[in-house]
Amino acid sequence: MFDIAIKNVSFAYGDNKVLSDLSLTVAAGDFVAIVGPNGAGKSTILKLIAGLVRPADGVVQVGGKVVRDACYSCEIGYVPQHYANNTAGFPATVEEIVALGLTSSGSKRVKREGARHIVKHMLDLVGLEGLNHRLVGELSGGQQQRVMVARALAANPGLLLLDEPTSGVDYETGTKLYGLLGEINRNLGITIVAVSHDIDKVTRFANKVACINNGLCFYGDSTEFRHNHAGAPHFFPYQKV
Amino acid sequence: MELFQYDFMQRALIAGLITAVACPLIGIFVVVRRQAMIGDGLGHIAFAGVMGGYVLGVYPTAVAALVTMLGAAAIEFVRHRHMRQADTALAIFFYSGIALAVIFSSMAKVPGNGMIGVLFGSILTVTGADIWLIAGSGVLVLGVMHRYFDRLLLMAFDEDVAHVSGINTGLTGTIFSMMAALVVVVGMRVVGILLVSSLMVIPVAAAQLLRRGFRATLALAVAFSVISVLGGLVLSFNLDIAPGGTIVVTAVAIYLIMLVCADLNVNFTLTRKKSADTIVKSGHKNSY
Ligand SMILES: Nc1ncnc2c1ncn2[C@@H]1O[C@H](COP(=O)(O)OP(=O)(O)OP(=O)(O)O)[C@@H](O)[C@H]1O
Ligand SMILES: [Mg+2]
Repeated sequence: MFDIAIKNVSFAYGDNKVLSDLSLTVAAGDFVAIVGPNGAGKSTILKLIAGLVRPADGVVQVGGKVVRDACYSCEIGYVPQHYANNTAGFPATVEEIVALGLTSSGSKRVKREGARHIVKHMLDLVGLEGLNHRLVGELSGGQQQRVMVARALAANPGLLLLDEPTSGVDYETGTKLYGLLGEINRNLGITIVAVSHDIDKVTRFANKVACINNGLCFYGDSTEFRHNHAGAPHFFPYQKV
Repeated sequence: MELFQYDFMQRALIAGLITAVACPLIGIFVVVRRQAMIGDGLGHIAFAGVMGGYVLGVYPTAVAALVTMLGAAAIEFVRHRHMRQADTALAIFFYSGIALAVIFSSMAKVPGNGMIGVLFGSILTVTGADIWLIAGSGVLVLGVMHRYFDRLLLMAFDEDVAHVSGINTGLTGTIFSMMAALVVVVGMRVVGILLVSSLMVIPVAAAQLLRRGFRATLALAVAFSVISVLGGLVLSFNLDIAPGGTIVVTAVAIYLIMLVCADLNVNFTLTRKKSADTIVKSGHKNSY
């Protein structure tokens, strides 16, 4: 279980300033939903936490340690946005993809029998039992998302970062996926940060909401967010000035 | 199999089989990372290496192995540093390879059909020294690929996810490229630099048509590749045609057969899918 501390972080892609002086702390065991309009920098925040990009200014800490390079952070499960480019036509079964969660730096390899057991357990957990031998590229979008979540969970992470896990997923499946993440968060105590445009769904299961729109413009309990937001789930009332 | 009584055919067989196993092993990663042309590119650099070997008067295949592996590492370095211009940078590497090969070939005394052998392969003239180099490379490639298999698979699937999982993607990518370079040089002796990439790509493409998992696809690709090399050698011996051509044509024939099989298979796969979906649906109820 990890806490996250983002302290006065600034970040730019070249001249394109994306984040400036952002501070955000996530307590261990929280389930935080990050919402906000396109291009606000939500994915960038996840990449900063994962160590895929480095802040120009400020620090990012995960579990009390400064994130310097993604290599160190084996205990972070990351489900990127747009992974579907890779799955289309990728010749791998669901089982093989989920088992990749057990591939880390190679130091803690799991024996084959153990691996099969873990994979089966993860597929049960995300409700994909029986799909072990199907090609991942031949599943529906929602099923693929759950495969990716299962892969990330197989690594036994202390922190799960998900970037729009329900884009292109139908209403019911999306709700189920967030419900599942809520259960994982409560039952396994894994800290979760999920970026989503499905504001209504994700805020139902997350306990905190961070709204990014020209910086952090709202951060608080999801119940408060839902109360302020009632009836206008697709409108961003918050705008930092 | 009387044709394998001849020494030169035995050496051809050994060299051919090692190549047949190594090419799809590299090729499957090349194909899923959509870098199908990398084999051709490395071939250009190997070409310069061989000709450089002739200029120096040193064993050309070994020089090619060294030069191509260094070139592969350099390409990987550039690819990592300058993601945006990676394509152009690669192209420049490859053209430089050809240009140097042309320069070296006019500086050196290249034996009679040396140039043709490099371009189109000369598996029937494989020497004892070649066998040692090929076998050594084969063992090294198998060992390294075994060790890095899972890491490469995760990287091929998603490089960012691999990185976050604690994999040193730069190092792993470089090691893979160097193994690819070694296989290109080995394959160069067998089918020539113009066709080596085809043995990496075609058997994998044929296996992919059968829509199996990663390891199953690899196993099928190796089987297709071995059949291509054996069939190609037999055809070449009996019809007195250059083996590089017959091997690759056999591989293409297998691809076409699989294409037809895949089409005929459509019904079978659809029913299989349907039953799998039913299983999932019942699964949903249990889990939510
Ligand atoms: N690799 C990149 N190179 C250059 N600029 C980038 C890159 N990735 C993102 N950006 C820019 O950074 C800004 C923030 O991007 P980011 O992906 O974090 O947005 P987001 O909030 O996740 O948006 P979306 O809802 O569309 O996913 C955007 O203006 C985008 O154009
Ligand atoms: Mg995004």
